[in-house]
Amino acid sequence: MARAHSLFRPKPDAQRRQTRAGLLACLILMIVLAPLAAPYPPDQIDILNRLVPPGWPHLLGTDQMGRDVFSRLLYAGRLTTGAALLVVLASALTGTLLGCVCGYLGGWPDQLLMRFCEGLSVLPALAIAMIIAGVMGLGLAVVLLALTAVHWTEYARLVRNMILVERAKLYVQAAEALGSSRRRIVHRHLLPNIAAPLLTMAAYSLSWVILAFAGLSFLGLGVEPGTAEWGRMIADARNHMRSHPHLVLAPGLTITAFVMLVNLLGDGIGDRMRSRHTNLLTLRKTIFKPRS
Amino acid sequence: MVRRLSHRLVQSVILLFLVSIAGFALLRLLPGDFAEVLLLSQMDGTLPDAAAVERFSAENGFDDPLPVQYLHWLGNVLTGDLGTSFVTGESVSGDILLRIRQSLILALLSIGLALVLAVPIGCFCAYHAGGLADRLLAAASVAGLSIPNFWYALLLALLFSLTLGWLPSSGHGTLAHAVLPTLVIATTMTGVIARFVRARLLDEFHHAYIRTAKAKGLSQTRILLHHALPNILPSLLTLTGLQFARAFDGMIIVETIFAWPGIGSLLVASLLNRDYPLIQVCFLVIACGYIIINLLVDYLVTLADPRIQEAI
Repeated sequence: MARAHSLFRPKPDAQRRQTRAGLLACLILMIVLAPLAAPYPPDQIDILNRLVPPGWPHLLGTDQMGRDVFSRLLYAGRLTTGAALLVVLASALTGTLLGCVCGYLGGWPDQLLMRFCEGLSVLPALAIAMIIAGVMGLGLAVVLLALTAVHWTEYARLVRNMILVERAKLYVQAAEALGSSRRRIVHRHLLPNIAAPLLTMAAYSLSWVILAFAGLSFLGLGVEPGTAEWGRMIADARNHMRSHPHLVLAPGLTITAFVMLVNLLGDGIGDRMRSRHTNLLTLRKTIFKPRS
Repeated sequence: MVRRLSHRLVQSVILLFLVSIAGFALLRLLPGDFAEVLLLSQMDGTLPDAAAVERFSAENGFDDPLPVQYLHWLGNVLTGDLGTSFVTGESVSGDILLRIRQSLILALLSIGLALVLAVPIGCFCAYHAGGLADRLLAAASVAGLSIPNFWYALLLALLFSLTLGWLPSSGHGTLAHAVLPTLVIATTMTGVIARFVRARLLDEFHHAYIRTAKAKGLSQTRILLHHALPNILPSLLTLTGLQFARAFDGMIIVETIFAWPGIGSLLVASLLNRDYPLIQVCFLVIACGYIIINLLVDYLVTLADPRIQEAI
């Protein structure tokens, strides 16, 4: 019985992963195709149809300015996803580059970087990002920069520590003994071997960035007022929360669902990567093109 | 232990020094001449002529080299003179202590509640790993990490104060005012800590000392309370310290929503008003507060685990 159970176990897991991936794909598709999928322009004000309850033709009703909530949600998704991906990408690149260099070379640059990252990790990230954004003046670019400024250290620490573990292993020593250049060792040996945890981390960090971005916008410190953005929409609808709860519920549920799917994606990647041997080969082929 | 702590102490002092430089730079790196910005705020937006600006900056030492200005500023900060607010024109150090107190009350209440809930839940789920409660905890903690806390706070306010009318939705003073903010911050933390306790306990259960304790015929409660839990205490303390930093991120939003007069809501207000001296004070308070908390957590960890000798 126990054996049968363990035999059948992988299947539901795989199925669950497929469902999640499918849901996430649908959401991403809707967001990418927002201009086609959205029935109305996101900023079209229609004062005669203010605060319409959900129904037809306004699927999720309209807000206090008569703008279609469903369309705004889709466009907001585009903005948030794009912004969050940019922040994650910039943080991952900076962190990986510095982490690799410092972890591999060691010495005082390594010490300096690690002390700096440790120091920054003590402080509350969102507060520091807020202060950076607030002092530099507001706007989308500034918010992205501020979030990256507090976020890249996480990658630097992870990459540096993994490089230290990996470079002590036999295959790196073998490559060194063969006379491979440092560059080649990092490119061909170290990076592909730390890619899996890095990807897992990227998924989790994406969810943090989305929440932080929405939080900043909610407080009025992110995008400009009136922009179709999830946090901003909730902030704008706050005064109508009691009479029209759907204006607060819809964007909130959208963020929660999106972030939850991203988190589960991270879990899924993590699970897959635990059986490293087969997957790493495919991963190496897909992400790092082998140079012949 | 002494060596490790002194090591950390030196690190913290260096960090404090860097934070003070960053705090100083925050004001001086503003776009435009600092003396002009300061005068503009004092004169309600009309800029006096160039000669007056020059006289003002000479009088206040803004022409000195930056290191001299920094030392001057540091002296002022250390003696409690943190400058005047651009908006109210009053000294910014005025009610800062009260604000710190309010934020600390909220943070301690939330962490306390989270620990009281999370440790028993984590233990229960570790004993019944794979059971219904365990799977519920896993789902709940993913949900807790995915819900934006500002939305969650609004939902609680909508339910408990606007619809049911049980609790006040803003302000401070009574315990009832603290319930909703505490609940919002504590919920996410509970999930994270409970998952951590569960995972660490499952690790510990494999160790030989647990087997020995079982073989001796000790009760399950005794093994848990006297053997397993003390062994996960140091890492639990470290995690709680890290959660403290995360809690502040949540507190900024929660304090703003529930109008709780702490450092978080002060920070948001000063950022929205572009009140730079006040932003600077908030930054210094937050940074110094976290360096001190971190040091304190380190000290507690060394107390809880005498084996720790070396840093890193």
